[in-house]
Amino acid sequence: MSGGERIPGTPRYRHHLQKNPGTEPFFPNFLLKEWIVGAVFLLGFMLWVVFNPVTLGDRANPDDTSFIPVPDWYFLFLYQILKYYPGPDIVFGTVLVPFIGTCLLIFVPWLDTSKDRHPYKRPLATLGMVLTTFLVIWLTNEAAVQHRAEVASASGQPSAGLPVLPRKDPSQIQFIDTSDPGYKLFEQTCANCHGAKGQGNIGPAIYAIGKYWDASKLEDFIQHPAGAMPPMGTLSNLTQVKEVASWLAKQKG
Amino acid sequence: MLKKAYDWIDERLNVTPLWRDVADHDVPAHVNPAIKMSAFVYCFGGLTFLVITTQILSGMFLAMYYTPDITNAWFSVQYITGELLLGNVVRGMHFWGASLVIVMMFLHMLRVFFTGAYKAPRELNWVVGVLIFFVVLAFGFTGYLLPWDQKAYWATAVGSQIAGSIPWIGPWIQTLLLGSHTVGALTLARFFAIHVFFLPAALLVLLALHFIMIRSQHIAGPL
Repeated sequence: MSGGERIPGTPRYRHHLQKNPGTEPFFPNFLLKEWIVGAVFLLGFMLWVVFNPVTLGDRANPDDTSFIPVPDWYFLFLYQILKYYPGPDIVFGTVLVPFIGTCLLIFVPWLDTSKDRHPYKRPLATLGMVLTTFLVIWLTNEAAVQHRAEVASASGQPSAGLPVLPRKDPSQIQFIDTSDPGYKLFEQTCANCHGAKGQGNIGPAIYAIGKYWDASKLEDFIQHPAGAMPPMGTLSNLTQVKEVASWLAKQKG
Repeated sequence: MLKKAYDWIDERLNVTPLWRDVADHDVPAHVNPAIKMSAFVYCFGGLTFLVITTQILSGMFLAMYYTPDITNAWFSVQYITGELLLGNVVRGMHFWGASLVIVMMFLHMLRVFFTGAYKAPRELNWVVGVLIFFVVLAFGFTGYLLPWDQKAYWATAVGSQIAGSIPWIGPWIQTLLLGSHTVGALTLARFFAIHVFFLPAALLVLLALHFIMIRSQHIAGPL
């Protein structure tokens, strides 16, 4: 019987109670319904796309080793597994665990050979898949959380718009041109929050800020800073701001 | 007129049985959400295919403006994103669609698993489905590099290092991926070629197998 959606005298929601609730031809009956599902789905997708505009990061810079790499989200669970096998055990994370997982997935039909199809009637397979799903979701989330923490701790304090510098030991930082009057001002004012070597303290690390921002950008930021930094820092006038900015611009790490 | 043209072709190529088979086959009630609402889980596979179709279309339009070399790649993506008419929407579709394919495919896989639809005689179709899953992951890995921004570059750098750390064959895999010892011009060129030529070819063949097998074996019966 085709056109199962029209069983006389039976409301649609009771059709499954009938002995033969009715198959229907693929075209056009079923395909039209699939298209309705598809159209609603596409509409939702396009709304998402329009309201979540895609962005583009800074151009690739092979010299900038301070960038904290992270794979796209659907590889995060594999990435996270690697972290549990440090040093020489890494082969567990790179080969063994993914290989075993892949084999299990491919050979599922030959591992679960019972005739029963209902998930309750093959508890081992069902439990295995439920646990695997939760594990993958948990690993993905864990990797995302750890990546966020890593980015946040790369500088003393993340600040909107400021380039994030990796944490560095103060003894490893060499300032350039310490005879510059800008350096004297830095020592007396900026260093109170950003550390004597600009390694970051209350404020974020700025020891190599000149690599990312030039003097005019720095001047602008010092006058209109983000986060908890007061305007002009603790400098008293615009001349001092210019001096500090031009000295900071030379610090390229 | 149209009928005449169709008959002329049909007389010579006998196309009617081909589409009649697809059009007339009965769709069972237990997969029809119009009869039983909970059957919507059977839509996940079709929706995955729908998203893959939008990925192919948006990808074809992106390829009109994208330049696969390291000096221009980032600027071409910047132009697509910032200046090109509707470029942001097309790139947005391709960007978000990539994640959506993964999500829908995962849901489809869970549905097939929990309804035991992979059991005899449909084992081969499960294997083909798993292969499709890996091809899609390869799409994700190669496509991620193409914008040539910081996260693209460093994700590929780390990814290839991980591949290189595999015992014995690691260095060969790394060289095969990168084209040299580091991520650079050759890497971008081959990731682009893999992303737009090799993988689509593999995907279309696997999808055809997937669908032909569904037609010849039918959908698994109700639980």
